Amino acid sequence: MKRWSSVLAVSIFFCLLIGCATHRAKRDLIVLLPDPDGKDPAITVTTKGGSQILDKPGYATEVEDLNKAPIPPRPVNENEIKKVFGPALSAQPDLVGRFLLLILYFEHDTTKLTPESKNQLPEVLRNIKNRKSNEIYVVGHTDLLGTEAYNIELSSRRANYVRDLLVSSGIKPSILFVSFYGKARPLVPTKNEVPEPRNRRVEVIVR
Amino acid sequence: MVSEMKRACSKIVLLFLGAFFLLLFTGGEVSPADASVPIAIIKKVSGSATIVRQGHNISATKGLEIWEKDTLCTGRNGSVGIVFNDDTFLSLGPGTVLVIDEFVFAPKQGKFSIVIRMLKGTAAYLSGLISKLSPESAHFKTPTASIGIRGTKFVAKVEGD
Repeated sequence: MKRWSSVLAVSIFFCLLIGCATHRAKRDLIVLLPDPDGKDPAITVTTKGGSQILDKPGYATEVEDLNKAPIPPRPVNENEIKKVFGPALSAQPDLVGRFLLLILYFEHDTTKLTPESKNQLPEVLRNIKNRKSNEIYVVGHTDLLGTEAYNIELSSRRANYVRDLLVSSGIKPSILFVSFYGKARPLVPTKNEVPEPRNRRVEVIVR
Repeated sequence: MVSEMKRACSKIVLLFLGAFFLLLFTGGEVSPADASVPIAIIKKVSGSATIVRQGHNISATKGLEIWEKDTLCTGRNGSVGIVFNDDTFLSLGPGTVLVIDEFVFAPKQGKFSIVIRMLKGTAAYLSGLISKLSPESAHFKTPTASIGIRGTKFVAKVEGD
């Protein structure tokens, strides 16, 4: 798990704002932090005036007015994160006992695991069995290449392929919940018809 | 012995009637979800923190259950951290007011929703299974903005009045 303190501290943006405190308008501040699940995080902040995507940890946007769009992302100094959000962050519950998120990747247009995922498979199965879970979600996805209908079917085949792998490794079918979303939920957003290996995946979520 | 039982029974009946009338008169909105089902648990508390539920103030303590529609408040030096049924982590810094508008986690029926509304203060949010299984169903709102969440961790500060 990446600690939030490993966010790289860049410019002293905050001090500039606080320096003008008397003239500063009230602003809502939203800062994206590193995702402890280690995957690519992203949030979208939307006002009546527009939207801003935050997809780089350590970056923030601010909203001054509900009719104005959020400002473009800016890096935030680690000390300022601590100062403003220290108490909130230290009240965060422990990660121990939190669900496990594992991802298996597939070759283009197939239900064939990539060589890397094939190599990781024994350890993945071991991790899953060690948790002795009674709730495992298996979610299939594709990249944005191809039609919606075709990819719904492909993602379904991928999800069921992984489900079968889990069952044959000794996991009870009754604790497995299979779902699939075709090209609707890319991990890495791309334009339509763009191939992206990181989107060709099945996510296994183990409670 | 029998009269004691009779008295105990009438106490129970009174309580039930009282609760019935309370529900009848205090229910303004009819929410589809059962608002009296626990949806989260308090894991950490420090300083002064309160849950406001149907007009009543409940002191926030570790292990206390949170219900849909609850308002979470922290005092000047208070903080509180909770875990939802889908493993979403939410924690509040001091001087914070936040409402849990919606929480539904029913994977077998494919029903997912988490809507949190922050009125003021600071909060840290780590998304759980609802964001992983149904990202479009997770929303964090401030008075000015709505934050759509795709499986991640963020902090938000709202300057209240």
